[in-house]
Amino acid sequence: MRPSQHSSLPLRLALYALMVLLAVVFMFPFLFMLVSSLKSNDAIFADVSSWRALLPVGPLTGANYANAFLRGNIGHYLANSVLITVVSVGLGLVVNSLAAFALARLEWRGKQVALTLLVILLVVPFEAISVPLMLLVAKLPGIGFGGDGVHVVRSWLDTLYVQVLPFVANAFSIYLFHQFFRDIPKDFDDAAYVDGATPLQVYIHIIVPSSRPVFATVTILQALTMWNQYLWPLIAVPGEGARPLMVGMQQFFAARQTAWGEVMAYATLSTVPVLIAFVVFQRWFVRSVIGSGVKG
Amino acid sequence: MNARRSRRFQPLLFGAPAMVGLALFVVLPFLMALVLTFTDQQLISPEPGVFVGLRNYERLLSIRALVQAPERNDVAGTPSFARVRSLTRHEPAYLGYRPLGELRFGEHRVTLLAKDPAFLTALGNTFLFALMVVPLQCTMALGLALLVNAGVKGQTIFRAIYFSPVVMSMVIVSVVWAFLFDKDLGLLNQALGTLSFGLVKPVDWLGNPATAMPAIVIMSAWQGAGFQMLILLAGLQGISQELYDAARIDGASMWQRFWYITLPGMRQTIIFVLIVTTIAALGLFTQVDVMTGGGPRGSTATVMFEAVRHGVREENIAYGATISVVYFLLITAFILLHQILLRRSAKVIS
Amino acid sequence: MPASLDLCDIRKSFGSTEIIKGVSLTIAPGEFIVFVGPSGCGKSTLLRMIAGLEDITSGQLRFDDVVVNDWDPARRRIGMVFQSYALYPHMSVEQNIGFGLKLAKKSKAEIMVRVDQALSVLQLTPLRHHKPSQLSGGQRQRVAIGRAIVRNPNVFLFDEPLSNLDAALRGQMRMEIGKLHQHLKNTVIYVTHDQVEAMTLADRIVVFEGGVIRQVGTPVELYDHPANRFVAGFIGTPTMGFLSGRVAATAQGEGVALDAAGGQAITLPGDLRRVAHGAALTLGLRPEHCVVCPPDQTMLSGTVVMLERLGAETFAFIDLPATPAPVAVRLDGGERSLVAGQRTGLRFDIERAHIFDADGNSISSSAS
Repeated sequence: MRPSQHSSLPLRLALYALMVLLAVVFMFPFLFMLVSSLKSNDAIFADVSSWRALLPVGPLTGANYANAFLRGNIGHYLANSVLITVVSVGLGLVVNSLAAFALARLEWRGKQVALTLLVILLVVPFEAISVPLMLLVAKLPGIGFGGDGVHVVRSWLDTLYVQVLPFVANAFSIYLFHQFFRDIPKDFDDAAYVDGATPLQVYIHIIVPSSRPVFATVTILQALTMWNQYLWPLIAVPGEGARPLMVGMQQFFAARQTAWGEVMAYATLSTVPVLIAFVVFQRWFVRSVIGSGVKG
Repeated sequence: MNARRSRRFQPLLFGAPAMVGLALFVVLPFLMALVLTFTDQQLISPEPGVFVGLRNYERLLSIRALVQAPERNDVAGTPSFARVRSLTRHEPAYLGYRPLGELRFGEHRVTLLAKDPAFLTALGNTFLFALMVVPLQCTMALGLALLVNAGVKGQTIFRAIYFSPVVMSMVIVSVVWAFLFDKDLGLLNQALGTLSFGLVKPVDWLGNPATAMPAIVIMSAWQGAGFQMLILLAGLQGISQELYDAARIDGASMWQRFWYITLPGMRQTIIFVLIVTTIAALGLFTQVDVMTGGGPRGSTATVMFEAVRHGVREENIAYGATISVVYFLLITAFILLHQILLRRSAKVIS
Repeated sequence: MPASLDLCDIRKSFGSTEIIKGVSLTIAPGEFIVFVGPSGCGKSTLLRMIAGLEDITSGQLRFDDVVVNDWDPARRRIGMVFQSYALYPHMSVEQNIGFGLKLAKKSKAEIMVRVDQALSVLQLTPLRHHKPSQLSGGQRQRVAIGRAIVRNPNVFLFDEPLSNLDAALRGQMRMEIGKLHQHLKNTVIYVTHDQVEAMTLADRIVVFEGGVIRQVGTPVELYDHPANRFVAGFIGTPTMGFLSGRVAATAQGEGVALDAAGGQAITLPGDLRRVAHGAALTLGLRPEHCVVCPPDQTMLSGTVVMLERLGAETFAFIDLPATPAPVAVRLDGGERSLVAGQRTGLRFDIERAHIFDADGNSISSSAS
């Protein structure tokens, strides 16, 4: 199937043409977004029927970006999303890898039952529990950080941590960690135990250093999920204060639908952090997704 | 300190944070959902919900057919029927039912009535979406994987480009495509118009019930195909090059090699991809919420959209939870069905 | 019909690196040819070029005097057995064997007859409905061979076919392949890095190094008359021992001053007039042409580093001064008392020593 060095020149050229054409198809919404964010509305409408729509030509402006900050409050939402993503991914790595360590490397009664439960939890889609989960968090007493200092609030709704805590423990992450830990030779642990190590020391000094790929995979997948959260904050965060980026995007879009340039500037600002991370870690990223995809 | 005792407790200690998290935020809500479906719990209401038995399920799933013979033929000979609404208002048997759709059988008119026609429409839409997007997206992904695996130079760059929409948020993708789909100014209509020299009239993609769902299908496939491409690529690269060599010596053409080596070798991966894509498709929400709000005329509302609409926006938690449970059963049924089919086909082969 | 093969200055480049650097070879119909060499010497690449799986960058490949450079693998009528067997995992044994015939649009009846025949030759008939995953390593190997023979190929190609089998099975399969060749009389090209396989199976062995042929000959020719140091070191276990030295005059005529003997010279038989005085020389010694003796009875003495007791025979490895690798000596009954670490003397039969010049080429005029 692989034409490689056997294929003739015309065939290879046709392949290239097809791949480039597809690349354009996959890239042009990006381009359109990026280019339009730099143009005034009038310029966008004027360019839309020609190739100029995908090229940064004509009078360019930064006004759209200024408006995204002024009218769209994007700075605040960006900060919220960064905080939510960083904290939940950081906590998740520790909590889930520790649980996977117990499942994959330690012997205890009830382990098989726990593993079976885990696999069942894998199948429960978040969508199916989101509505009752909202009722639950609405009734959980929490802590508020207001202008008047720390005080107890009657519900978790409208907080930052309601967007973090439910996602820290994650069955899929535990499963990925478990699959990876399981394949590390048990001899490593035994050698450390013979040297007098405790399980915690084995986890820190043996398991974590030899599991960088799976930590990378879980970080990437979890960070993407958190950054792109939409359904849950839509349900659990009706107010402004704790609103994350994607809900802010939707609101801005709904409110200023005709202001294309501003909406595209907003979209660009929301995408650029992820896109930069993707370009930097591209090779690594793709490999880790391939690895997890096969096992998962 | 007793080392052996600490050994026995440590596993539980390690697992405790995750167990608490999963129990509190996955298991508990799921059990709550099951209980809620038998109540009339509202979000804001101060008093706890009252047990209502299967009423939520009944409202969700009740469906019946109303067969009407033509009442009288007027001068032109066209049959006319009694208004459905007058029947459902006054006949106790049809109380609470609203029309879902109608069929003709000869002279007779059959009206399908449901207590929640919006949900059943949404259920149908969800299946329709899965039925369209899964073949399209998976075929695209397979094609991309084969292309990227063809061994031409620069394949890592192309692979990254095809994958890049996956890292984009669905909200952003939906917003950008909403502009591309715009009737008068959208690039899609402009391109179609230019390519056909004005023969193709501008289509109101998201404003027309007939095209709104296909538009969402196209966009979703575009956004997601890169992910399946990667998984399929891993499957492709798992096939030994020597098998292709052996097939060439046996005289297999390129197409025969694809048919006899690639496809059988990727069977497991393809099945995995189909399942993952189908489950994701059945959860369709974000695109609809951002682009169409379920419209036009309910043509893009989905099961999850209905669950959020009732459970959150109308604050009828109990009814939203009922939809969630039905959705979960749907997914479970799909997975079980797949398991059964897999086992049967495994038997046939061996 | 067994085919004759003609390789004429065959070359292969990947980008700017040349892997095969001009190979010419003529193979007679029905001949069993073995390609040996260390990994990366290009032997497998050359085999794949003969199969048509790799392009030939330049040169001519002829089957029965017809140039086949641009022919598809299938048109060349070859059978090939791969290192990993490459059995189609989703097909049964008989489907695997019959696949090529099916693609060639042979009738069902003909496929049946020919598959049955192949199955019975290879004693696979009871396993005909099994999947490859249900077979043992040796059975898979036989299916792979069956797939090759069913097409009645002109040339049979084996790419390191036994390297995935354990030692006992390897010996058995080696014998079966040998018998099969006697029975079918096809032309065979067999690639291996195992020189025992090469020595037992081959009519002629082709030794490769770095993309060029270093020597072609029968197993005995290669063993007795290695053309260069590389072939000498590659063929034979334990490896030939090498002593370095320089050409020097002795009382009896031309000789070599051995580094291992502190520069003492030993007279060489034959004519060494072509080599200048003072030029570097290497002596190659087969283990069976050396004996141990008390250290004071010889000019070469060293330490026993290891004894390899194989039951029927025992080899001692002796570390000599200024010699990179220990020299192997086959012990006869008498010296069984030797232990590792012991000092010992070494004598060798100068008449049977191989002599190589500074470039590694053999200059033994009559080493036999």
